[in-house]
Amino acid sequence: MMRTCQIVSQKFAIEDAHTLSIAQEHGAYDTLAKCQEFTPLEMIQIIKESGLRGKGGGGAPAGAKWALMPQDSEQSSVLVVNCDESEPGTFKDRQIITKDPHLLIEGILLTCYAIKAQDAYVYIRGEYFQFQKVLQRAIDEAEEAGFLKNINITLHRGAGAYICGEKSALLESLEGKRGHPRLKPKQPEPEWYFGQPTLVNNVETIASVPFIIQNGAEAYRAFGTEKSPGTLLFAMSGHVQNPGVYEAEFGVSMMDYINHYGGGIKNGKALKAVIPGGASTGVITAKEAEEVTLDYEALRSMGSALGTGGMIVMDESTCMVSVLKNLLEFYHEESCGQCTPCREGTGWANTLLGKILNKRGSSADINQLLEIADTMNGKTICVFAPAVSSVIVSFLTGFRDEFEVMV
Amino acid sequence: MSFTFTPENIKTIAKLKTRYPKPQALSLPCLWMAQYQEGFISIDAIDVIAEVTETPAMEIYRVATFYSMFHLQPITKKRVMVCKTLSCKLCGSEEILAHLSKREDVLVEEVECLGSCGSAPVMQIDDLYYEDLTTQKVDAVLEQL
Amino acid sequence: MNQNIEIIVDGQTYEAEENSLLIDLLIKHEIKVPYFCYHESLGADGNCRMCMVEIVGQKRPQIACDTLIKPGMEVHSKGEKIDTVRTNILELELINHPVDCPTCDQAGECSLQDFYMDYGLHTSKINVQEKVTHAKHVDLGANVMLDQERCVLCARCTRFTDKITHSHELGIIGRGDDARVSTMPGRPLSNPYAMNVVDLCPVGALTSKDFRFHQRVWFLKSAEAICQGCSTGCNIYIDHNKPKYRDDTVYRFRPRRNDAVNGFFICDDGRLSYKALEENRQRQTLLEGQEIETDAACSHLKALVQQHQGNITVIIDANLYTEEITALLVYAETIKAEVTAPLEFYNDANFEDDLLKSAQCAANYQSVLDLNLSTQAPDKKGLIINFNYPEQFHADTVVSFNTHQGAQASLIFPIASYSENSGTLTNKDGLEQFSKKAVTKNSPSPTILEWLERLKQ
Repeated sequence: MMRTCQIVSQKFAIEDAHTLSIAQEHGAYDTLAKCQEFTPLEMIQIIKESGLRGKGGGGAPAGAKWALMPQDSEQSSVLVVNCDESEPGTFKDRQIITKDPHLLIEGILLTCYAIKAQDAYVYIRGEYFQFQKVLQRAIDEAEEAGFLKNINITLHRGAGAYICGEKSALLESLEGKRGHPRLKPKQPEPEWYFGQPTLVNNVETIASVPFIIQNGAEAYRAFGTEKSPGTLLFAMSGHVQNPGVYEAEFGVSMMDYINHYGGGIKNGKALKAVIPGGASTGVITAKEAEEVTLDYEALRSMGSALGTGGMIVMDESTCMVSVLKNLLEFYHEESCGQCTPCREGTGWANTLLGKILNKRGSSADINQLLEIADTMNGKTICVFAPAVSSVIVSFLTGFRDEFEVMV
Repeated sequence: MSFTFTPENIKTIAKLKTRYPKPQALSLPCLWMAQYQEGFISIDAIDVIAEVTETPAMEIYRVATFYSMFHLQPITKKRVMVCKTLSCKLCGSEEILAHLSKREDVLVEEVECLGSCGSAPVMQIDDLYYEDLTTQKVDAVLEQL
Repeated sequence: MNQNIEIIVDGQTYEAEENSLLIDLLIKHEIKVPYFCYHESLGADGNCRMCMVEIVGQKRPQIACDTLIKPGMEVHSKGEKIDTVRTNILELELINHPVDCPTCDQAGECSLQDFYMDYGLHTSKINVQEKVTHAKHVDLGANVMLDQERCVLCARCTRFTDKITHSHELGIIGRGDDARVSTMPGRPLSNPYAMNVVDLCPVGALTSKDFRFHQRVWFLKSAEAICQGCSTGCNIYIDHNKPKYRDDTVYRFRPRRNDAVNGFFICDDGRLSYKALEENRQRQTLLEGQEIETDAACSHLKALVQQHQGNITVIIDANLYTEEITALLVYAETIKAEVTAPLEFYNDANFEDDLLKSAQCAANYQSVLDLNLSTQAPDKKGLIINFNYPEQFHADTVVSFNTHQGAQASLIFPIASYSENSGTLTNKDGLEQFSKKAVTKNSPSPTILEWLERLKQ
């Protein structure tokens, strides 16, 4: 049975909930008074106890990240909200910023209180300008209403670069530079924005904070599984009857979700494959989809990942070789070009797959594809290339026969 | 330099400068403003932005060429950006592209995922998305322009 | 304060400062590690991913340029696993590289070529024909030519113009495999150190317009010398060769690393000053414009010295080696001449900058000061014997020893230029440096010391 959960989507169905008056009628900003009961450190403790995991794709525990922020730094801390949402199959954050922007603003205010930040930036992908305007209006309203007395929220528009969803590339971009991911620190530490300690969280992560502060960590943990507590704005696209974003708790069966909310596969066809959480998670077969539940651990055990929870559903008529080609075109286009394995590997793999798709390839080329994937794995600054690598491997693991018949 | 920001943009820039720790952070906002003003980003505009952001012009140039939404050359036709990534492809973007390729009055560009997968196929014209496209809907949208 | 600790590389123990860069240790001890983007003057960038090493306890290979040395660290710089990684990454560098070594001027001093010899030498796995095409033969300005297709995007050149010259002419533009090094439209590379990017470029993407196609590098011999462009005393290599049937010729100057003086770089004026070495040379011994035998010339000078007893000035050029200056002081004393080493010609405030260029534009300027030599113009108007100082003075008789033509003198002796001679120079900071002889001409001009020997006879 699918249990209805509305932690971030509670106001999605309410008409005009993006306006302050309607949002307030439904409880927006109520937690601002409530959070005064807690010290910043207590807030961080609550987030830790809630088990809230980052909802941008990585699934790292949010509380641990918050705890890295210095509480007594001379420099003021910064909150950066990641609304770059560029992972193919993912379109959840735009629901929050258009349908319930005040929830995000409330989450930002709570988070800034916890990490003692005065400046918050929301980095929004450039294409989402129409949605950015909705959020900006909400911020203006909140400011007029006096909610933003101590906090500056600035929307920062990207300009077309998938890689800026990677947090360090995002910060580079926010500093006005090319979106090149940074070399990773040697030990756990905050991110840095112009030398200021910085917390980067996804929109949905921040939008989950008001519920947790309002209802407590246990209330959040009442949803989901032991290791993947809470909910996610899962999404479906591709060959499903009713594509869209529907909040569900972690741990539900993938097929239950697809059938319950998505109305099953389009045109009554059979399922062939699902990319479970945005293009960068490994594809799984229909058989695997039947077995898997929607939580980090279950998908990892299948060699894939939950990612952003944006499922791309493919029916029996889908050519998996051309699907992989489509994804490699994406990665080839979007590689920032900094590291050699990614810059050259995405192009090589893409060209090579084009050769296979045009029936000019050989079985040696298929093996070569795997070798390129191996060279791209774990040898670059960021996880872009390893993700591409795992995608290639997953297609060749799950659907190798489709590639074999092409050569 | 033949480029100057409009008085309104100059005001916006002044306000934004109070929002960021360093003026270099304004390079993307300024590039956007310049592109809206002129339709593209000229070298003159880059020089002005370099001054505003206290950043070498070359750094602004590097940035402008990195992001796919910035154009350093004027575009004469109306741009129609059609998403070609997987969900849109599965839902028929190729048909939309084929349909659009017959038109000569618009510049059709295949772009990567627009983040509108649940309402695929999708295209973007100026700052707006047009979702759940059919060939008829495409024609109707272009008619309205 | 970071302590010195011990780490193990390939079974050997090395001492190093804690938290210093592993790649610096490998380079220092000449432990072979391939790299494009790292450069000691520019720091780590981490983009080429070539300097992979295995660190015991780490799941994946790590890049040495982004690894800090820690106590107890154990590193493997070689072995099948790491070689495979390097070979595979190298293969990726070659995907879009034109592999045009036979026509590439970098051949012979190309890191890509060298690493291929070290980690490649395998049958290429590249199984696609298409290559990303980019601009070739781009004249960037300042004698630097760019071939974007050969570029490995290590960003050394752009980091040089950002971090060293702060002139920001170069940048990587575009994205992914469309990324390329470029200048801004209509804004050429133009800074006094621009040609260093040619040395920094590990491949054939940036080549010197001045040098390219003149000589294959493997024919060149290098002498460790000191640049004579100013008193900074930048350490250089004089690259020269004697092609068959031709004379020994200098083809280029290259910077030679000396952290106490010039680091890794030299200025373009110094670099191109080699040209003046060959042009317009004084080759003949002339009396009133007519060539004479050297013995006769020596006798003539001796007679002139006799004739002008007590009214002789020896002029010493501030570029002469200290050994030559010392010998000339002895000679001057023997003939009871006054000595002066005018410096006026060599003061050029416009030449100076805060990197390497000094306003004192003579290589041994400091020695002249240290020796307390007079720097006044000669006041005696009898006989002037000018040892290569470029200004002209009027006197009853002028004798001149010159590397180059242009002296107005009744008697002119040709002398070896500094590349044809060795000796010591004291730079502006008082550092004594030895400059080695590079070139041996088919008909060498005598050095000043050799002339003085002959004048003694």
